[in-house]
Amino acid sequence: MSDEKGSSIVVIGGGISGITTAIEAAEAGHSSVIVEKNPYLGGRVAQLNRYFPKLCPPYCGLEINFKRIKQNPRVSVYTTAEVESVQGSEGNFNVKIKINPRFVNAKCTACGECVKVCPVERSNSFNFGLDKTKAVYLPHELSYPMKLVIDSGVCLGTSCAKCVAVCKYNAIDLNMKAETVEIKASSVVYATGWSPYDATKMDNLGFGKVKNVVTNMMMERMAAPNGPTKGKILRPSDNKQVKTIAFVQCAGSRDENHLAHCSSVCCMASLKQATYLRESDPDTKAFIYYIDLRAPGKYEDFLKKIQADANVEMIKGKVAKIEEDAETLDPIVTVEDIVGGKKVTQKVDMVVLATGMEPSLKTANAGTNVKLDENGFVDAEAQAAGIYASGVAKRPNDVTTSLQDATSAALKGIQSAVRR
Amino acid sequence: MGDGTVFTPDIGFVRGLKNSGADTMKQCYQCATCSTVCELTPNDNPFPRKEMIMAQWGLKDELSADPDIWLCHNCNDCSKYCPRGARPGDVLSVLRKAVIAENAFPRFMGTIVGNTSLLLIALLIPVALFLAVLNATGHLNIPAGDVIFRKFFPIQLVDSIFVTTAMCVVFLFSVSVMRFWKKLNVNPYKLMAHSMLLPHLLETLKEIFLHKKFQKCGANADRTWTHRLVLFGFIGLFITTNWAVFNLYVLKWDSPYLKDDPNILMILGSQAAVMLYYAAFKLFGNASALVLFIGSLMLFSNRMKDKGVNSVSSSFDWIFAGIVFLVCVTGLLSEMLRFANSAQLAYPVYFIHLVFVFYIIAYLPYSKLAHMVYRTTAIVYAKMAKRDVM
Repeated sequence: MSDEKGSSIVVIGGGISGITTAIEAAEAGHSSVIVEKNPYLGGRVAQLNRYFPKLCPPYCGLEINFKRIKQNPRVSVYTTAEVESVQGSEGNFNVKIKINPRFVNAKCTACGECVKVCPVERSNSFNFGLDKTKAVYLPHELSYPMKLVIDSGVCLGTSCAKCVAVCKYNAIDLNMKAETVEIKASSVVYATGWSPYDATKMDNLGFGKVKNVVTNMMMERMAAPNGPTKGKILRPSDNKQVKTIAFVQCAGSRDENHLAHCSSVCCMASLKQATYLRESDPDTKAFIYYIDLRAPGKYEDFLKKIQADANVEMIKGKVAKIEEDAETLDPIVTVEDIVGGKKVTQKVDMVVLATGMEPSLKTANAGTNVKLDENGFVDAEAQAAGIYASGVAKRPNDVTTSLQDATSAALKGIQSAVRR
Repeated sequence: MGDGTVFTPDIGFVRGLKNSGADTMKQCYQCATCSTVCELTPNDNPFPRKEMIMAQWGLKDELSADPDIWLCHNCNDCSKYCPRGARPGDVLSVLRKAVIAENAFPRFMGTIVGNTSLLLIALLIPVALFLAVLNATGHLNIPAGDVIFRKFFPIQLVDSIFVTTAMCVVFLFSVSVMRFWKKLNVNPYKLMAHSMLLPHLLETLKEIFLHKKFQKCGANADRTWTHRLVLFGFIGLFITTNWAVFNLYVLKWDSPYLKDDPNILMILGSQAAVMLYYAAFKLFGNASALVLFIGSLMLFSNRMKDKGVNSVSSSFDWIFAGIVFLVCVTGLLSEMLRFANSAQLAYPVYFIHLVFVFYIIAYLPYSKLAHMVYRTTAIVYAKMAKRDVM
C-alpha cells in the first residue's frame, strides 16, 4: 500500500473533480492529499444554484462528499494552499506546497462574533462582487472547513484586532505566516478546473459598461437562496425584479479572439437558468440567442421541455452588440435573427452572458511541468508518467462527466502507486 | 421532396473565389456576428452573413444579382469581430472582383486584367501599341535638344490613341453595366418603375463625394481619407487633362507653354495674366498629382497594416494600388527629368508613364477601378429598390 511507503496521490484543486478523485482513491485504500487555493472546498460547484437537468441543488452532493472526507483518515486537505513545484517521477514525486495564512486557526467554531465587530468590508468574490463581506468572513454557508478566514488585502491588521478581542476561542492569529510543506507523491492529478472568461474583454457586449449585463455565474449566485439577492432575480442597476431576460450564448466561447473552444455546458446552463426566471413569475419572458444548441443525449429532453414553454423564445443568431437605454438602463441587444432574415433589437430588463470556461492552468501554470494544449487544457496524452488530470482541467465538461473522469483519474493514480 | 428552391452550386466558382483570396470563407459557421456589427447593412435580410453561405455554396447567380456586396465598403468591422477568422469583409471584396469579371465585355479582357499572372500581358499590350505607332510615324528615337515630350510622342498621336481608347471603354463598359443592371433587377428587389433614376443617382453621388458610408466604418476608419485622396486626386488629374486639351485645341497654346506666345498674349491681354493663368494650371495639375501620390502611399500602408504583406487575399487590390503608385511616380519623375533636361531618362520614363495611364483608362471596366461604376450603379439600384439604408 502506498501509505506504508509514505507516498500519496496529490490532487491539485478541491473542486468537485478533485474532491472526487481524492475520495475515490482514499476509499480504495490509498492516501490522498487535496491542495486547494481557496479557503474552502467545492470550487465552482459550490457557487451553482442548481444542477441541470434535474434542477437539484449541488449543496446536497457536496455535503455527502464532505462527510466522506471527514470520515476518511486517508484524505488530507490543505486549503488556502498553492503548489509551488512538482519534481521527480512516477512513484517518487516531491510536491512543494505553500500554505497561505488563513489568520484563523482550528479552534474557530464559525460563531461569527468577529464578523460583527470587523470594521472593514471586501467585495465578495464568492458572489462575483454582487455584495460585500467583512474582512473576516465565512466563504459560504457550507464552507469546508467550517472556519472563517481573513482577507489580508483589506484587514487593518494588529492595529485594529477587534476580532481578536471578541473571539472567545482564541481562534484568530493576525501574525500567522505562510508555511511550506513538502509531500512525497506517487502521482499528481491536476483537477484545477476553470474560471469564467473575463467578460470585459468582449468590448461589444457591454459587460462592465452596461449595468444590467451579468454573466451566467453571477446569475447562478442571484438565483441561489444563499446568494446576494436571496434567490430573487433582481437586476444590478435598481434591484428591480427581472421580468424579461436575454441569454447571449457563446459569449467568448467558439471565438478565436477569445476562447477558441466550445465550453460545452453553457447551452444547458442557460436553458436551466431560463427556468430560474420562469419559476419566479409566470409573466416572465426569456430570449435565448444561440449559434447552435448543444444538448446531447438525454439532455435533449430538457431542451424540448424548455422549448415547449411559450415564454421562452429561442433565436438563432449571435448577439454582437449590447447597448444601454440611457433612461431606463434597460440593455438592448442587437442580433441577426438568421431564420427570420432580419437584424433585430430587443430591449430586456437584464442580459446574461453565457461566458465560457477558461482553464485555470492557462494563466497559472507556474512551477509545474504539465503540458497544455493550444486552448490551455491539460493534454492528457502528452504527460509524463504519473501526471494525470481530471474534470475541466482536461476539457470543458458538465459535472456528471467530470465525476466519471475523476473516478478514472483516481484509478490511474492508484496504478501509479502500485506499479512500483 | 418538397418544392423548395433548388440551388445549383458551382464548384469551379468556389475554387476561383478561394484562389482569388477568399480562402477564409469556409471558416464561417454562420453565427451572424458580421451582420450585427455592420453599420452599413439594411436590417431586412442583412449582409454579409448570407453572402458568406452563398459563397460557400457556390451560388454564383444569386451573388451576381446581389446588390448588397456593393453596399459593403470593406470597413472590416465584421472581420475584426468574426469569431472564426473568416474575414467576411475581404470575402465580399473578392466577390466584387468576381462580379466585375463575370460582367466583363469582352470576356477575355476580364480574364487578362483579373488574373494576376497575366499582368505582364496586360502591360505589354500598350507597350507594343505605342512602339508600333512611334515606329510607323518615325518617332522611335530620342529627340535631340531640350526635353519637350511632344517631340518624342506627338500630342496628336497621344490624343488619338487615348480618345479612341476612352470611347471604346465607354461603349464596352456600358454593355457590362447594362448586363449588371439586368442581373440586379430580379426578385426580391425587382423594380416597379424606373422613373426615379436621376434623383437617386444624384443622392448617391453626393453620398460618395461626402464619403458618408466610409464614415460609418469603425475598424478601418483610416480608409476614409485614403479614398478621399485617391478619388479627388483622380478627379483633379481628369480636370487637368481636359484643361490641357482646352489649352491645346481652343487656346492653341501647347507645351512648353511659352509665356511670350503672341496668340496667348492676345487672348489673355497681358503678360501678367498669362503668368497667372499658367501658374494656376500648373499648380492645379501638380497638386492633383501630389494628392493622388499621397493617396496611393496610404493605399499601401493601409493594406500592410491590415493584412500583412504576404497576404494573397487581395492581389487584385495590390495591383491596383501598385499601378496608381507607379502612374504617380513616373508622372512626377517625367516632370522632374524634363526640368533636369535629361533626355536619355526623361523620354523613356514618359513612355512608361503613358503605359500606366493606358492601363488605368483602357482596363477601367475590368480592374479594381471598375468598382467606381459598379458600386455607384448598385447603390443607385439599391436606393431605387428601397434597399439602401442611408
